[in-house]
Amino acid sequence: MLSLNQNDNITSIKDAVLCEVARLAYEGTLDEKKENLPFEMIPGPKANFRCCIYKEREIIRQRIRMAEGKAPGTENDANIVQVISSACEECTLGHYQVTDNCRRCVSKKCQSVCRFDAITMEKDRAHINMDKCKECGKCYQACPYHAIVDLTRPCKRACPVDAISWDEASGIVKIDEKKCIQCGACTEACPFGAIGTRSFMVDVINLIRSGKKVVALPAPAGEGQFGKGITMGSLAKGIKELGFADVVEVALGGDLTAAYEADEWAEAYKAGEKKVTSCCPAFVNMVKKHFPTLMGNVSTTVSPMCAVSRMVKAKDPDAITVFIGPCVAKKDEILDLSLDGNADYVLTYNELQCMFEARNIVLTPDAENIQHGSIYGKKFAGSGGVTAAVLEAMKEKHGVADVNVMVCNGAAECKKALMLLKAGRLPADFVEGMACEGGCISGPGCAKCEFDSRKDRQALLAQADDREIWQNLNEHVDLESFSMHRK
Amino acid sequence: MTVTICIGSSCHLKGSRDVVARLQSLITENGLDHQVQLSGSFCNGHCEQGVVVTIDGGSEIYSVLPESAETFFQNEILPRLNG
Repeated sequence: MLSLNQNDNITSIKDAVLCEVARLAYEGTLDEKKENLPFEMIPGPKANFRCCIYKEREIIRQRIRMAEGKAPGTENDANIVQVISSACEECTLGHYQVTDNCRRCVSKKCQSVCRFDAITMEKDRAHINMDKCKECGKCYQACPYHAIVDLTRPCKRACPVDAISWDEASGIVKIDEKKCIQCGACTEACPFGAIGTRSFMVDVINLIRSGKKVVALPAPAGEGQFGKGITMGSLAKGIKELGFADVVEVALGGDLTAAYEADEWAEAYKAGEKKVTSCCPAFVNMVKKHFPTLMGNVSTTVSPMCAVSRMVKAKDPDAITVFIGPCVAKKDEILDLSLDGNADYVLTYNELQCMFEARNIVLTPDAENIQHGSIYGKKFAGSGGVTAAVLEAMKEKHGVADVNVMVCNGAAECKKALMLLKAGRLPADFVEGMACEGGCISGPGCAKCEFDSRKDRQALLAQADDREIWQNLNEHVDLESFSMHRK
Repeated sequence: MTVTICIGSSCHLKGSRDVVARLQSLITENGLDHQVQLSGSFCNGHCEQGVVVTIDGGSEIYSVLPESAETFFQNEILPRLNG
């Protein structure tokens, strides 16, 4: 069903656009038909989601541009994460506000905790003087009636690096490209779906149609993303039906990264140096943009995505590699072209799901399973998983793994650890940084949220065999054929 | 200096990966790794001019093919660094 109706929500609207764009791209009629798409999806005459059908159609038009990889508006910055200006609701600007739940009580806790003298008692309720308020939130925490509300824009609250502001005149959100780490937290936070990410989906479809050998590299978060019993084998079968020539699990790259990072850590430990992980691109962006003096501490081992891509290209230099995962920052990682051999394109599991829908492909549990990575590589996708894999690789090679690692679950913890490292007060020897809380399995590019996928994922991971990391690499990978380090 | 190369599908088919590899080796041969960064960009719709290359976010589009990458390097990158 092409036209949207009032039962649709932000997720189904986003998916419907991606699905229609994928369908037209596969047909080869996208350029010819895309202008008509907003009219077909929003036939009118009554508006269902916004003030009028004209606004709804404009939002669809901007979404189509993003699905094609373009910036939604006319301004063309390079950011992956983009604001869909027509969809931004210009939310209320005041952060803390007193509601009529205020009883004008005698204890005046809000007033007494305010260090900036911003609160006065008016006739009916307390009042916050916005010129004096520093938005510390003390009054909000102190009120026994929950009468003070935090109206910070959801996108701004979600941003871990303060990259979000808005245009004073229009109220429409702006993202500061110099600060943004491309984590995508804001894309999930906006209740109007007004922030999204550019997509390589059409590029990938065009290359498949051109007859090129396109190889899919599904990330280790894949198990659980497509429901009960959908193993990597089932997923790979569906991916091949989309026209991909081959499928290699990035969990194998998890094994590669863990093995080489273990060696790197062992050396750094001897030299008394502290290292931070390099596999989460949003975390690496946080170091690059907000703690540039710590770049020397970032592990030089390449990410699992880059490792597997190099492995595939070492065997076939003409292969086009496409990482598919739950991450939007990965789209940014591949734009750094000085890192040779990295994946050529990145898709999200959400985009993949829309491609399946566009081609009427239904995944079934009966396909023959594949396993390229060890269970340690597969568990790279959850918080603590990288550390567990690196320690396992250390133990396999050196017999012991006696190092102290700080596992940072989410951007806020990452920031704290980097501040400590910068100040020379980090208690741990190594830092595992993952910008998404819970790890990649909670990433903004997921097809299913972590809560919905958890049970199926656990059941699928329980089926994996118990091969060790080094055993897996020695048996299946020509380790001499490519480098595992940034140059 | 940042040299941006389009990695969209049309430019890919015209050899953007080879342009990147050629430029990267010229940059390394000339010891310019710390002065010139190569960055990829999404398709901006100028496919007929592909492979689309821009310098420092400027609006001028250079059409570079694998065989003309060296000329582009000599004519556009080196003079900017020396001047």
